[in-house]
Amino acid sequence: MRQAIRALGWATNIFWIILLFFTATALYSAFQLGFGIEPPLVSATGATMTVSLPLYVNNRGFYDISDFIVATLIHDRQGATISNSSTLVPLISRGVRVDAAHNISLSMPELIAKGLTYLLFNNTEFDVGLSLRLVYARAVPFRVSTNVSLPWGAPLHNLSILSPTPYNSTHVSAPVSFENHSPFSLNGTIRLELLDSADHLLGSGTANINVPPNSGYSFPFLVSVPDPLDITKARLHFDTSVFTYGPVVIPLV
Amino acid sequence: MLPRIIKAAIKALIYFVFLYALPVFLISQVSQFAPELFADYVRLLNLFIAVVIVFVVASELTAGTILQHAFNIGKAIILIIFLVLALDGGILNLSLNFEGMHLNLWADLRIYLAMLIFIDLIVLSKSVLQAINFLAEKAEQQLPTPKPAG
Repeated sequence: MRQAIRALGWATNIFWIILLFFTATALYSAFQLGFGIEPPLVSATGATMTVSLPLYVNNRGFYDISDFIVATLIHDRQGATISNSSTLVPLISRGVRVDAAHNISLSMPELIAKGLTYLLFNNTEFDVGLSLRLVYARAVPFRVSTNVSLPWGAPLHNLSILSPTPYNSTHVSAPVSFENHSPFSLNGTIRLELLDSADHLLGSGTANINVPPNSGYSFPFLVSVPDPLDITKARLHFDTSVFTYGPVVIPLV
Repeated sequence: MLPRIIKAAIKALIYFVFLYALPVFLISQVSQFAPELFADYVRLLNLFIAVVIVFVVASELTAGTILQHAFNIGKAIILIIFLVLALDGGILNLSLNFEGMHLNLWADLRIYLAMLIFIDLIVLSKSVLQAINFLAEKAEQQLPTPKPAG
């Protein structure tokens, strides 16, 4: 029995040495890990806005990092899901630096299809849940998460129509204006319809638009109507490269 | 008795230096990263080292008796329970503030906890075997010595 006791004593010491060695090297390696996120790059192509987060992981430790995942979940202030995306780097070996980019895509047609049409007209801020997940030394799953805000600029911010005024004996002038606070270039057409109190169409007009990001638009529509005094409301239809939406009904005094 | 007390005090001092003073010094060097994170672990370390030193001293003072092995067994069992409670069953969930950002940390340390418990179980089995061996030797000493025939 003494031999068995001695053997267990040796086993205990050996396992303690191994465990302490692993703990010390793992902690040292963790502090040698270099990680950084560069400033985000925002771009818009067609109807999709992409926020690209360039990041790097420099594994200067002794152990591999596997299943490295960057995930973002974006909600609006009412809790509706705007976007859900993740980027996977399967393996970051020791001594290796990996550069990657996590892309977050926001598609205007998808947002409109989800019923989030208020985003066309209202600036707001999205809540972004950002999480980093990895498996360290192929044994320890680890996750860091935080919440940040992402500002949203509406493409039709401050959309308004001034009350139509007589232009000549047959036409009225109805100035339409808005501010494009989004990163999208709005190219397409706006169709304006003027109606009476019974929703009968009195007259309409169409204009081409080409509104770059972060710029304003103002155009005096000239519409032929029988009697300007019958005009009670206006309807706007937007057909652009970014979205197709309408009618937007605006009461006119 | 005095040498036993001196031996117990020296052992307690050695355990204190290597299990408390050194780790606290290392933690203080890195505590600027997340003071609230490491403050919690210093409190846990205080409790851990208190438990260990009490059992080490008691075991040394009762050396040569069955109580020594009883204290060793008790120390191993209490350390297993303490490890499971201190590491929350191996799932670490922490909230901390870093450079103005609120971060949530989650780590699955169950493999690490399993390794610690495994080592403690070996220590426990060794203490049990030592207790059995002690009792066996005691029983053999009490047996009458057989006299040679003739």
